[in-house]
Order: sequence, then C-alpha cells, then structure tokens
Amino acid sequence: MVSSLLASDARGEEYTFARSQAFLKQYCESCHNDKAAVGGFRLSRFATEASLKAQGQKWISAAHRVQNREMPPKGSPAPNIDEIEAFTAYAEQAVHGAVCAAGPQPGPAVTRRLNRDEYAATLRDLLDIHLDIAKGLPTDGAGGEGFDNAAETLFLSPLHSEKYMDMAKFATDFAAKEYKPRQKILIAKPGEGIAPEEAARTILREFLPKAFRRPVTDADVNSYVALFQLAQKQGETFDGAVFFAIRAALVSPKFLFRAEPPNPGPGPRPVDQFALASRISYFLWGSMPDELLFDIAAAGKLHDPAVIRELVPRMLRNDRSLGFAQRFIEQWLRTRELAGDKAPDAKLYPLYAEDEELRGDIRFQPILFFRELLVQNLSLLNIIDSKYTIGTSNFAKVFQDRLPVRGNQPKQPQWVVLPDGIHRGGLLGMPAVLAVSSYPYRTSPVLRGAWILDSILGTPPPNPPANVPPLEEHKEGAAPKSMKERLSQHRGNPVCASCHSRIDPLGFALENFDVLGRWRNEDNGVPIDAASELADGTRLNGPEELRKYLLERKDLVVRNLTRKLLGFALGRGLTLTDSCAVDQIVAKLKQNDYKAQVLIEEILLSEPFRMQAVSAQAAPVKPVVSKSEKEKSKP
Amino acid sequence: MTRRLSRRSVLRGAGVALGLPWLEMMTPAKASANTAGTQAHPIRLAALYMPNGVNVDHWFPEGKGRDFQLTPSLAPLADVKDQLLVFSNLWNANSKGGDGHYVKEAAILTCQTIKKTPGADLANGVSLDQLAAQKIAGQTPLPSLELGVTPVAIGVDAVVGYTRVYGSHIAWSSPTTPLAREINPRAVFERLFRASTGQGANAAKMDTLLLDRVLGDARRLRNDLGASDRIRLDEYLSLMRSMEERVQRAQNGTQRPWKARVAMDAKQTPPENPKDHAEHVRLMMDMMATAFQTDTTRVCTFMFGNAVSNVSFRFLEGVSAGHHDVSHHQKDPDKLRQYQIINQWHVNEYAYLLKRLKNMQEGESTVLDNSMVLFSSALCDGNKHDPHKLPLLLGGRGGGRIDSGQHLVYSEDSPLANLYVSMLDAFGAPVERFADSTGPLPGVLKS
Repeated sequence: MVSSLLASDARGEEYTFARSQAFLKQYCESCHNDKAAVGGFRLSRFATEASLKAQGQKWISAAHRVQNREMPPKGSPAPNIDEIEAFTAYAEQAVHGAVCAAGPQPGPAVTRRLNRDEYAATLRDLLDIHLDIAKGLPTDGAGGEGFDNAAETLFLSPLHSEKYMDMAKFATDFAAKEYKPRQKILIAKPGEGIAPEEAARTILREFLPKAFRRPVTDADVNSYVALFQLAQKQGETFDGAVFFAIRAALVSPKFLFRAEPPNPGPGPRPVDQFALASRISYFLWGSMPDELLFDIAAAGKLHDPAVIRELVPRMLRNDRSLGFAQRFIEQWLRTRELAGDKAPDAKLYPLYAEDEELRGDIRFQPILFFRELLVQNLSLLNIIDSKYTIGTSNFAKVFQDRLPVRGNQPKQPQWVVLPDGIHRGGLLGMPAVLAVSSYPYRTSPVLRGAWILDSILGTPPPNPPANVPPLEEHKEGAAPKSMKERLSQHRGNPVCASCHSRIDPLGFALENFDVLGRWRNEDNGVPIDAASELADGTRLNGPEELRKYLLERKDLVVRNLTRKLLGFALGRGLTLTDSCAVDQIVAKLKQNDYKAQVLIEEILLSEPFRMQAVSAQAAPVKPVVSKSEKEKSKP
Repeated sequence: MTRRLSRRSVLRGAGVALGLPWLEMMTPAKASANTAGTQAHPIRLAALYMPNGVNVDHWFPEGKGRDFQLTPSLAPLADVKDQLLVFSNLWNANSKGGDGHYVKEAAILTCQTIKKTPGADLANGVSLDQLAAQKIAGQTPLPSLELGVTPVAIGVDAVVGYTRVYGSHIAWSSPTTPLAREINPRAVFERLFRASTGQGANAAKMDTLLLDRVLGDARRLRNDLGASDRIRLDEYLSLMRSMEERVQRAQNGTQRPWKARVAMDAKQTPPENPKDHAEHVRLMMDMMATAFQTDTTRVCTFMFGNAVSNVSFRFLEGVSAGHHDVSHHQKDPDKLRQYQIINQWHVNEYAYLLKRLKNMQEGESTVLDNSMVLFSSALCDGNKHDPHKLPLLLGGRGGGRIDSGQHLVYSEDSPLANLYVSMLDAFGAPVERFADSTGPLPGVLKS
C-alpha cells in the first residue's frame, strides 16, 4: 500500500521506509533510544511501517520539528536541507497514504460561540437592523487553519458576557424604534379577544426558532412567555415586554452558541438537518440560515446532493456571500493586516494614507475578485493569472493602468478585462497583496517570497537556523545598493542560501511593484533587476514568469486553497483524515476545470462537512478535589 | 486530551470560581493577610507589557541599591525615581526554548511554558494579575481590566506552529482561558462609568430576570449536549452566574458596600478613534489611572502591542522603521539608536501613568503610594530573543510595603517568579509558590 505513495528525493531517487529509518538512526537515535528517550520520545515507536498509521500524528509532528530545525538540537550533527526535505516529504506522504486507505472520516463537531463577525451578521439578519455591532465586541484570535471562526480559539472572557448583555439591549432598543424590524417581529398584538400573553406567544413562537436556528418546544416558548409576563408586571408596555423577552433570547446560549445534538453512536452519522443548515449558512454567509434553508432542513432534504448543487449558486449570488469572501480572503491572504502594522507608511505613501476611497478599493479588490470567481463559476486558477480584475477609476488614476472602467459610476468596483502587458493578472498583481507582503516603508523580496510560499503554495519556509549572521552590514557613506546586491549575502553563505535560494527569487520577480503595487523601473536611483535563479536552476524574471512558474505548480496552489477553505468551512484545524477529503476534493476540481463552485459543492458534500463523528461519551470524570476539601471530607 | 480532562475537572471541582484550584494549590503563606480588603486604601496592581525587548546598552542603570543613575531609556522616570524599583538579572526560565516570541510573551505574567499548538489545546498558566483579581473577587465592580491598543493578531504562525492568540494575551484566568482585551478607549470609559455609577433598581431587577432565563436555557442546553461539548457551556454558565452575582451585589448595598472613591466625569469621555498610536496609548494610560482612582477595579493589564508588534514608530523623530524590525538591529548602530528611542518612548508613557497616579491624592497618601505598576518586556535583547536579564520596573509603594527607590541587582538568572511572589504578598494575596519561584525576591518588600 505504502509503496505506491513513495516520495522521491531531490535527485529523483525513491525514498523508502528503510531510508527514513536510516535518517532517524543517524540524527535522532543518540537521544531518543529506549534507554534515554529524551522528552518521552523513543524511536522504537517508528520502527515498523504500521507505525505510519498507528502513530500518524506523532510522525507528522516529528517531521515538522525536523523541518523547522528544532530537531536535532543546536550542537548535534544536523542534516542538510535536502535531507530534511526528503525526509519530511516522505513522512507526510507515507502517513497520508496509510491514514487515507480507509477514506475520510468526519472529525469532531465542537460547540462554539458565534465569533464577532458572525454575531453581528446574525443580529443584523435576525432583527433586520443595520448597525455596526461588531465594533463593540472584542476581536477574536485564530486557530486551526488560521481563521477566527476556529472553535478551539473562540474562548470566553468576562468581557464577552458584559458585551452580550450590552449589545442585546442596544440592538433590541434600536429595533423597537424602527419600522422594518417592528413589522418583522411584532406579528401579533393584543386586542379584542386576544390577551397580551396570547399575542406574545404568537410572536415568540415565530421568533425563537429563528433565533435558536432550530425548532423549539412548547416549553421553550412558555418560558419566554413567562418572562414577557414578568416584564409586564414590572410595568413594561406590551412592546417593551416583548422586546425584553427577545433581549433575553439574544443572550441565551441557544442563540450565542452553535451546538449540535450529540451523536450517541455506534458510528458516524449524517449531521442533524438544522445543524447542517447552520454549518452551511455560517460557511457561505457568516450568518443564520434564511427561511429557504430552514424549510429545506425541515423537509429533511439537506443531505441530497442535487439540492446542495442547486443551493450553492443561489447562496453565492446573495449579498451575504460578500461577508464570507471578505472574512476568508482577508485572513487567508492576511490583507486584514493592512489596517494595522502592515499599513503603508503615511509619510512615504500619503496617497494611501489620505485617500480613504482608494484604501477601500485596494482592500476590497481581492475580496470582490474571489467572489466573482465564485459567482461566475470561473476557474480557480484565475487567482494565479487572469485576464480579469476588479477595477475602479481610482486604480486607473493611481497605478497608471488604463483599466477599461465603464459606465457612469466609474468609482464602483467592477469586473474588467485587463489590457495586454499590464502585469496585473491574478492576486499577485493586486496592491493589497503587494503591500501586505512588504514592509510598510519598503519592499522586501524575502517577505514577498515567504508570503508566496506560505499563503499561495502552502509550503512555508522553515525558521532560520540559530545564530544567523547579520544580513546588512551598515557602511557609512556607501553608495546605494540594489536590493539584489544587499541580498546577495544570502547566496554567499551556504547556510542562508539553502533556503533563501527558494524564497528570494519569488520575491525578486515582483520587485517592479513598489509597496503600494505601483509599477517602477528603478528604486532609489538603482534600476530594478527582477531576474534571479531558484535553487533548482529555474530562472525567473518578472511577474509573468513567476505566474507561469506558479501555474506549473497549480496542484500545490489548488491543494493549499482547498485546505484553507475546508478549514474555514469546518471552523477547526484539519485532522490527518481531513486531508484525505482534501485529496478527493482536489481530484474533483481537476476533473472539472477547477471551477470555483465545484470547490464549494465538494466541501459541502465532503465527509467532514456533512457527517458527524460519535460524540465523546459522558464518561464519569474524577473531579479535582483540593487538599483542603479532601481533609474536610474525612470523617 | 489532557487539556480537556483538566479543564473539565477544574470546572467540576471549582464550581463557579474559575481558577480556584490553582489558588488552593498555592497555599497561603500567612493566615489570610488580605490587606487589600481591610486597609484604609486598597492596593492596586497593574502590569504593562512592551513587545520586542530593549537596547541593553541604554537600559540597565549604573550603580546598585539606592545609589543608581537612570540610563537614557529610563530618564523619563526621574520625577518618580524614589517610587521606582529597577531589576537586573531576573529571567523567565520556563519561557526559554520554543520560538522567539510567543513562548516568551504569553508567559510574561504566568512563568509557565505554553503548549505549542495552532489552537486546539491552548495551555498556559494563571497570570499574576488574575491570581490577585481572584483573591479580591467581588470587592470592586470590575474584577480586572484588560487593555490594549491593537486587535488580536490574526492567523496562526505556520512557521513556528503557534496560534497568534498567545502573542496577543498576557492575562490568563485559567491555563486555557486568555482574557479578551478592550482596545477602544471610549468603550473602556463607558464601561468604567457604568460600573462605577451602577444602574437603577428597576434595570437591575430586569437584568436579574433576564439572567435567570438565560441560566435556565444554559442548563437545559447543557443536558442536551455530549460530554466534550459541555465544557464551553460550563464556561458560559460560570460567566453568566458571576454576572448575576454582580448585579445582585450592586443591588444589595449592605453586603459589601462599594462606593466610587472619586466620581467619574462624563465630560471626560475620550474619542472613539484616537488620531494615532501615541494618542491611543496615552488615552489607555488615562483609563487605567481613572479605574484605579475610582477603585472600579484594582487589577489591570495593558499591552503596548502584541508579540512581534511591528507598529510603525516613524512618528518619532529619528525613527524610520517598525518596532519589530528595529529590534532586530543586528548590531547596526543606527538601528540600535532607533531601538533606544522607541524604548524610551514606552518608558515615557509609563512615567506619565506613574505621575498621574502620584497626582491623585488619597487621604495622606497618593494612589501611586497604594499601587504596584509593573513595566515589563518578555525579551532582553530583541535581536537575540532571549529571556535572560529581563527589563523590568516596578513603580509605586504598594501601600508602603515596597521598598522603592532602588536598583536591585541579583545573581544571574534569578527567577522572575520570585518577584511575583513578593508582589502578591504586598497585594494581600500571598502564595507559597508561583510557577518556578524559589521564594520571595529579597529587597523588594520592606522588612
């Protein structure tokens, strides 16, 4: 089984299990043997081919530590970069092959709170109010594949509970005064023959399932009607008491959390219809399911592939998918950082600092571009190179690019055909990407190269080895040097060269773009030289050749995008078996000309997305008893 | 798996108060000397954190004990030198190894080794400030205040394998719970204002009704969930219960009377969007001073930036780059010069806070007399990423317990955790041990 997945090394020789053992013996055995087992790790765990499956996760973490040069530790004989890469590539592929033999498995479905953006969007759609609610909440950190919807890092602080109370009041006070929300919510009123609690019951019976994103029981409705009555007793008007009950629902964990009914087993099962409706809508809209999704779930049809294939284009066309594109793109490409440390320097780039409209155009260009690929169902390879981009009259003005912006609203972002010879096809021609992969005050081929390796190819470069020599010696009065001359030190020192010959040339190819992405032919009076040679001898000169190079590696690019998007869709880090689902999705994409909607459909239909693993049993947990309590409990 | 068990068992064992087990593990050294609650003036504790380390040539003073000269980076502290302790040779042993930043910075107040993870099994320790806050829980409207000026850093650092959540949080209420920070000065002000003025009886009654319903929902939902999913619900339940207690406490004036020591002035509301980094930081210093003066909280942490912060300091004369870039000076004299300017700017903000507290009279003393304000960085020389000889300052007399006005030089590699043992003692929350501490830090407390 494993032999069919064998990797090969830089010289094209087949890498075998035996070779991995020789590598481990040479570099790891002196510390990790059965006697010493430093750090609790012994090599005998990895001694058989069966360990690739049984100890898959351990193999992968060991490979990562080698790849990052954490191991072997400083002072021990270390393998060179070719040996490292051959070993880690082998480990990854061999483990992958062993684990995927049984096909993808659904991972854990973790109960998580709505994140900041989801919370705001859900309140917006539920109450039909348009307020910048997110601003009032603390920002969320990221986990898993690098997104802020990862269940594992959506922790709660006292600050959150305070904000939930405040926001619920703020939102309901606002909704209670607005025409549209009132129309939407207050669907009954007390009057002749209709007692107040009867009207309230009608309202809440309609409202609560929407707020909790699943059908509610009579007991649920009763408890909120009781709350309505208590509020009336406190002197609230009918409207006031209804909105008070709604306010409580907005602080209820049934609103704030996405919780799925547990799967008692014995095996994985399709996820509950309403939970699936939420999975889909929070993935593609970042918000609650709409009535149609809710109805499909109620009819029990959400696991039907034909239904999913019909839903996808419809959901992508909806305005709400803009929020999805924004959250995914800004975190995947890290362009969100343009609003922080990565903002181009205000003194050097006043154009950027002073023109809010332009900043918005720059920020939204990759977002709108990605969304158009989805809506128009175009090839995902457009992210590498494309005949199209998103244009506005601002872009044309600033970048000297004669973009054929049309119509009487040239300031509106629009889908335009790129004229020939303009160097702007794909993400790498976009100012947001070029700026975020630069320093705020100058470009850096190293940063841009590393950014491409990490964000586009999904192969981040390892840490620099310990004790790297300084890069730029400061010499008073020296003539300005080209970036290339300054970085040539990377080539002179073999330790640096081993990695930088993979990083820097990718960045050099973009040197004609300044920090803001404007085309330039010289920097600091020195002509730009965008040509260089990669470690494998490939010569790259300028953005076109870089795009060609990346297109030749489209499998890596598409695989990386699929991993990222699946991680975003699941809202958690991918497991080893999730990567088997990634394989299947990538294969489908290949068969379907990399059509963007196929990626979405296949994610929605994948095992990890629509299935649910058996829930952890409520095993009796031994409570921690502190010393003093123990003593107290003694007779 | 280990994390889940421990988190779950902690919640089971501790009931409402998160973190209680750790408190109990750290058996009080003396029979509850909770000076914070009994003294005429409460003791406050703040910890400020500066990313990226210091230019060592211009940080550590010449001279020891009371006879020491402030270096250029510490010069802004001249007016409060008698209220200051400067420390040399403390280090954070547990933050050695790992990567260059996250391991150091997440551990600055916990002195633990964080777990390497993109997020699924986050693990650190309980931080200094939270041990203090848990000790005096319920005595002030807000248990503690976590502040910053930049949003949580996005993404996972794929190169080193840590979620950037680590680099964005120094306050941890449990090993698995970093505390979210407020970064909008106006929101902080409004929060302090509301907390210190309280709400009307009717509003409180309504909140109680609401929380009752919410807790009911939470309990019911909890029963419907699988064991592993209950963990988050339990966290939520405990937060909402403390919220309920807070509302009730505010209602019940006799139980634990709290009164703002100074009334807040609504006219002082700060702008929502500060015009630049400098104004933003300055406003946050003001918020801390206000929180302490009014006694809305006695515990506060502030982050000048996240780990690896590359905030541009080009607004300072003579600085041409971002913070992290400059810290990797590679011995370039020009970068070292810029590095020092940036360090000094941070110290100047710290000095501003100390001076504000000093100008706040509190009976015969000042708020600064009754405070301990730590200034810290988790690295020494940013170029080397090393947690030896950390740059640490402590301002304020801690209610007279701190023997301030000295440069304290220890033998190399003395544990930072020992300083925290002494600070917790002065705060009135004494512990026998804190992480890798070996005892109190000699010279800090008056004998």
